Amino acid sequence: MSQAKVIAKQRRLYFTKRYGIGLLFLLPWLIGFCVFVAIPIGWSLFMSLHKVAVVPGGFKYDWIGMKNFRAAFVTDNIFPIELITYFQQMLLMVPMIVIFALLISLMLNQRFPGRFIYRAIFFLPVIFATGQVLSELFSQGAGEIPFLEQYNLEPLINQYVGKQFTEIIMVVLSRAILILWYSGVQILIFIAGFQTISPSIYEAVRIDGASPWDSFWKITLPASIPFISLNVLYTIIDLFTFPLNPVLKHIKDNMFKIETGYGYASALAWIYFGFIFVLIALVLLLFNRSMNTRRSR
Amino acid sequence: MNSELWIEKVSRQVKGVFWSRTAQRIKVVVIGRNISEGLLAKLILYGLLTIVAYLYLQPILYMISTALKNLSDLLDPTVTWIPRVITWDNVSDAFRGLQYMDALKNTAIIAISCSLIQVLICAMTGYALAKLSIPFKGLFTALVILTFLIPPQIIIIPLYVIYSKLSLLNTPFVFLIPAFFGQGLKSALFILIFRQFFKSQPLSLEEAAKLDGASTLRLFFGIMLPLARSACLVVFLFSFIWYWNMYYEPQWFLAKDFTPLSIRLDQLEDVLNPSLLGQRNTIENPVTEGAKMAAAFLIIFPPIIVFMFLQRWFVTGIERTGIVE
Repeated sequence: MSQAKVIAKQRRLYFTKRYGIGLLFLLPWLIGFCVFVAIPIGWSLFMSLHKVAVVPGGFKYDWIGMKNFRAAFVTDNIFPIELITYFQQMLLMVPMIVIFALLISLMLNQRFPGRFIYRAIFFLPVIFATGQVLSELFSQGAGEIPFLEQYNLEPLINQYVGKQFTEIIMVVLSRAILILWYSGVQILIFIAGFQTISPSIYEAVRIDGASPWDSFWKITLPASIPFISLNVLYTIIDLFTFPLNPVLKHIKDNMFKIETGYGYASALAWIYFGFIFVLIALVLLLFNRSMNTRRSR
Repeated sequence: MNSELWIEKVSRQVKGVFWSRTAQRIKVVVIGRNISEGLLAKLILYGLLTIVAYLYLQPILYMISTALKNLSDLLDPTVTWIPRVITWDNVSDAFRGLQYMDALKNTAIIAISCSLIQVLICAMTGYALAKLSIPFKGLFTALVILTFLIPPQIIIIPLYVIYSKLSLLNTPFVFLIPAFFGQGLKSALFILIFRQFFKSQPLSLEEAAKLDGASTLRLFFGIMLPLARSACLVVFLFSFIWYWNMYYEPQWFLAKDFTPLSIRLDQLEDVLNPSLLGQRNTIENPVTEGAKMAAAFLIIFPPIIVFMFLQRWFVTGIERTGIVE
C-alpha cells in the first residue's frame, strides 16, 4: 500500500469520525431538500424560460427566453395591477397586524384573574385562521366588523389621506377581522418574548421612580425589537401564501389557460417571489441596522 | 381663646390628613401604585379585552348561529343572531355531504402521522444544525430558512409531476414522504425552533453524557429529545393544526378517493345540490349556506377539542422553548 493511499484512508476515517454522525442526522433533510425543493425549483425556473405545452405523455418545451417575464408586465393587464394593489394592502396590513399583536400581548401579559380564558380566546384563531373554513366565512361576509358599515368612513378617509389610498384602506378595513385573526401566532411570539425580559429590571426602574409608561418605552419596547422584526417577517410570509390572495389566484388561473400555460405561470410566480424577497431583505436590513446602532451605543 | 382656635386648627389639620390619607387609599385601590395594578386599569383592561374578544369570536358565533337556522330564518332579515327555531337539519346535511366519518379519518391520518414525523425529523435536523459538526453548516441553515420563504406556487407543478411519477397521488404518502424527508408543511420553521432550543442547552450536559460513554444517538434520544418535551409539544400542535387546515396542497395532490375535510367542504354545495353544478360562483345560495356553516364547524370542532385540553401546556411550552431568543 502506498503512502498516499494510507493518507487518503486516514483522511476518510477522520472525516467520517468528525462529520459522520452530524451528516447522518442531517441526511433525511438533505435528501428531501434535493428531491422536493432543489429539483422543483430548478425545473420551475427552467419552465419559466420556456413556452410549456402539455402533450400526451409529458411536456413540450420551446425556448423563449425572458419573453414570459416581459409579457407579465407588457401584455398582461391584470397581473401588474393586482400585484401592486396587493402589495399596498400588505404594506398597510403588516404594521396593523404587528401593532395589534403587540397591544394585545401587552394586555395579556398583565396579571389578572381569568387571563387564561382570554389567552385561550386569542389563540383560538391559530386553529382555523388558515384554509378553507376561513375563505368560506369570508365569502359569506362574516369577516366584517359589524359597526364599520354604519359609519360612512369613505368620504372621511378621502378627505384626510387622498383619493388614491381610500380604496386600499377600505379594503383593509373590510378585512379588519382578518387582521385580528392573523395575529394569533404573533401574539404568542410576543408573549413568549416578554418572558425573556427579566422582572428584576422592572423592579429596579420602579424603585428609581419610573412610571409604567416610562418602563414600557425604555425597557419593554427596546427589548422586544427582535420579536417585532421576527413578527414582521412572519406576517409577511403568512400573508404571502394567504388563501384569499388575488395574485395567487391569477397565477393559478394562468396555469390552466392554453395560451399561457405552466411556463408563464411559473414566470409570474417568480416575479411575485422576487417582490416578496426584496421586501423581506429590506425589513431585515432595517431591523439589523437599528439593532446594531443600539448595540454600538 | 387662643387655645380654642389652636385646637380647631389642629383638628382641621388632622381631619385634612385623615381625608388625604383616605383619598390616597382610594387612589391606590382605583389607580394602584403601579398603573397596571389598580382597579380602574383592571376595568379598562377587561373592557378592552372583552370587546376585542367579541370581535374575534363574532365569525364563529355567526357560524354556529347560521348552522342552526332553518331556511325561513336565514331569509328573514329580522333574525340576526338567535334563530326562531333551532334546527339540526343543516348539521345532518353537512354530516352527509362531507361523508364526515370517512373524511375525518383521512384528515386525522394525515394530520397525526405527519405531525409525529415532523417532530422527530425536525428535532434531528435542528439538533444537527445546533450541536453537531457538519461541513458548510451556515449554508445549510441558510437553505433551511430559504425553504420557508419559497412559495408553494413556484414548485407545485414539478412536485405534481414527481409525485405522479412515483405514483403517490391520491394517497397519504404524498404528505408522509416529504414530511419524513424534512420538507413537510412549514418544516423549516420547526427546524429553526428546535435549533434554537438545542442551542440554548448547556454544553456541559453533553460533555457529562459523553464522559459516561453515551453515543451521540443515545445522547439525542435519551437526553436531548426528552428535554425538548415542550418544544416537541409546540411543534406537534402547530403541525397538527396546519396539516388539518391545509387546503392548497390537497387540492392538487388529493383530488379523488382520498380527500380530507377541507376539499370536501369545497365540494359540499355540488354534493348537496347537484342541479346547481357550475353556478356556485355566481350566486350565494341560501339553501346551502346553513349547511356550509355547519360543515365548517364540524371541521374545526376536533382541533378545538384538542386545543382545549392542551392549551395550558401549549402556551407555557412556547414560553419555555425559547423560540424567540
